[in-house]
Amino acid sequence: MSPSVRESLVWPALVAVLTLVTLAAAGSGAALAVLAVGAVAIVAFHLWHLWRVAEWAAGPADARVPDGHGAWGPLLTLIHRRVRARNVYERELRSVIERFEAAASAMPDGVVVLDASDRIEIANPRAQTLLGLDAAHDRGQAIVNLVRQPGFLAYLEAGDFGDAALVPSGRDPGRMLALQLVPFAAGRKLLMARDVTEREAVARMRREFIANVSHELKTPLTVIAGFIETLQDLELDPAQRARFLALMREHAHNMQRLVADLLTLSALESEDHPLVDETFEVAPLLRAAAEDARALSRGTHAIDVEPGPAAMIRGGRDEIASAFGNLVSNAIRYTPPAGRVTLSWCIEPDGSGVFSVTDTGIGIAAEYLPRLTERFYRVDRSRSRATGGTGLGLAIVKHVALRHDGELAIESERGAGSTFSIRLPASRVVRVESAGETTAEPAASGHYQ
Amino acid sequence: MTEHTNKQFDAEMEGIRSGVLSMGGVVEQQLTRAIAALEKEDDAGLLDAVGADEAAINRLQVAIDQQCAQIIARRQPTAVDLRMILTVSKIVNDLERIGDEVKKIARKAAETWGNTRLAQVRIYDAAKALGTTMTMLRLALDAFARLDVVAAADVIDRDAAVDAAFASILRQLVSYMMEDPRTITPAIEIVFIAKSIERIGDHAKNIAEAVVQVVKGKDVRHATVDEIRAEIAQP
Repeated sequence: MSPSVRESLVWPALVAVLTLVTLAAAGSGAALAVLAVGAVAIVAFHLWHLWRVAEWAAGPADARVPDGHGAWGPLLTLIHRRVRARNVYERELRSVIERFEAAASAMPDGVVVLDASDRIEIANPRAQTLLGLDAAHDRGQAIVNLVRQPGFLAYLEAGDFGDAALVPSGRDPGRMLALQLVPFAAGRKLLMARDVTEREAVARMRREFIANVSHELKTPLTVIAGFIETLQDLELDPAQRARFLALMREHAHNMQRLVADLLTLSALESEDHPLVDETFEVAPLLRAAAEDARALSRGTHAIDVEPGPAAMIRGGRDEIASAFGNLVSNAIRYTPPAGRVTLSWCIEPDGSGVFSVTDTGIGIAAEYLPRLTERFYRVDRSRSRATGGTGLGLAIVKHVALRHDGELAIESERGAGSTFSIRLPASRVVRVESAGETTAEPAASGHYQ
Repeated sequence: MTEHTNKQFDAEMEGIRSGVLSMGGVVEQQLTRAIAALEKEDDAGLLDAVGADEAAINRLQVAIDQQCAQIIARRQPTAVDLRMILTVSKIVNDLERIGDEVKKIARKAAETWGNTRLAQVRIYDAAKALGTTMTMLRLALDAFARLDVVAAADVIDRDAAVDAAFASILRQLVSYMMEDPRTITPAIEIVFIAKSIERIGDHAKNIAEAVVQVVKGKDVRHATVDEIRAEIAQP
């Protein structure tokens, strides 16, 4: 029945009811009966609607609002509209929450939302792995019950959240976590957790490095300052003066070498100094290194050169030359007089080029080998200083090798000597087919050997 | 009882629970330092820190025991609450014992610093075993925080691995001592360390058993792992 039909029936129905009421009042039993039946019908109609609305209200949240007739129709329509509006609103809210949770999950740091009494509300997956939480079960758990590090508890209780608290991870004490609390609305806090193991290690290395550099510079400076005072205060004969000046010069020299090595290292490390891409011949470098060796040795060692096949290297000429130079000077300094130092170049079957310096010197015990390329690491401090080492040579060599995609290999036996090799990958080695020796540097080829 | 006193009672119960866990946190920190003392050499600072941790652990034990006694006297708790208080006081005891053992380990470790090669090799095994007990303690305390009996049963399972490690360290030491009598002195030090580690495993297991007891209301101290699992499976 359409509403217009229903409305058209209202007036006749009203007239009929009024007539019946009048007749009943006049004493007509039949009219009374009709009225009674009508009343029962109306009560039944409303009860049926009430029952259906009650069923709907008790049913599932997403059940449709029932249709209704009579006075129930517009009422139920109103309810239906309101429910629909609420559903739309709820969907929007849910999507906001979902977006927030997706953003929290995507964060590289661990994030935990804490309520006003520091209980866990939400924890993203990263926080769960870093802090050993279980988001499904740990809702409402006090954070200090699971993140028990005393350092964190003290940080939380102090209430000063300017800096993060550094604590060892509970799951793996070797790793360090930075835990930062950020208060926000209504006493809630955000707990950010980050693994800072590497950052801390780098910071420690930097501190140690600076301490080492200062120490290395201090020693020669103290000596020089002492001599200057002596020269100022005492009348010395010319021979003594000359001796003191020579010692001062030697120490100034050591400092110069150290500073030069430091500058080389920092240039190698800095990203402002990309690797120069040039192609140069190996043979002249080998000759120059051999010349250096002879000059350093002053004829006390036998210097052999095994030039190997002619080849070119792609990379930074100066860097490779300094790496060769460092290896050669090490070999001379750690080989007693009458020892033998051999410089060689060869190309392996896989195309990689290997430059080696082999000596018959004092050698290095196996347990020291892994630390040899650390800055300022010295197996024998006094010997290294006495021979003018800066403690940075092998660090430089290793850096140069790495910059050329190569590696530094060390083989050594105590008392029998050592072999230091720089291996460059095939991609950086170009074989020269013809007799390349002569094309390289005609002037230099004469006095070579 | 009014709502106000109920709330206060809940807060007091929560307080002793969190107290136990923060005490556990100090013990965990002390264990971390003891492992470092076994792995590294010559760090007197570590030894001092372990001692300071032990003192803090003792203070916490006294404070928590006092809180427990006060709750019992003033509130006369029953059923679950009473069980929780009794469990807390048991766990606090175990934690304090672990603190004592860790201190012993750190002191013995310092005595072996700079000792023979043998000491270095065996100490490595001890550090590994100590790491296992540390995981056990962490899981046991997590299980107590979450009242998670399944996790507690896992901890009880792990104790067997610590016992096996103890037996294996002992066997190796015996063969070293038979080969070279000069190794007897350092070997004895390591035996003490290993024994302490084994004890820490037992205490961690006790804590896990206490968790099962507080949740299930059954004493499982002398039950086998299978019996405990069967108990947990019951609703």
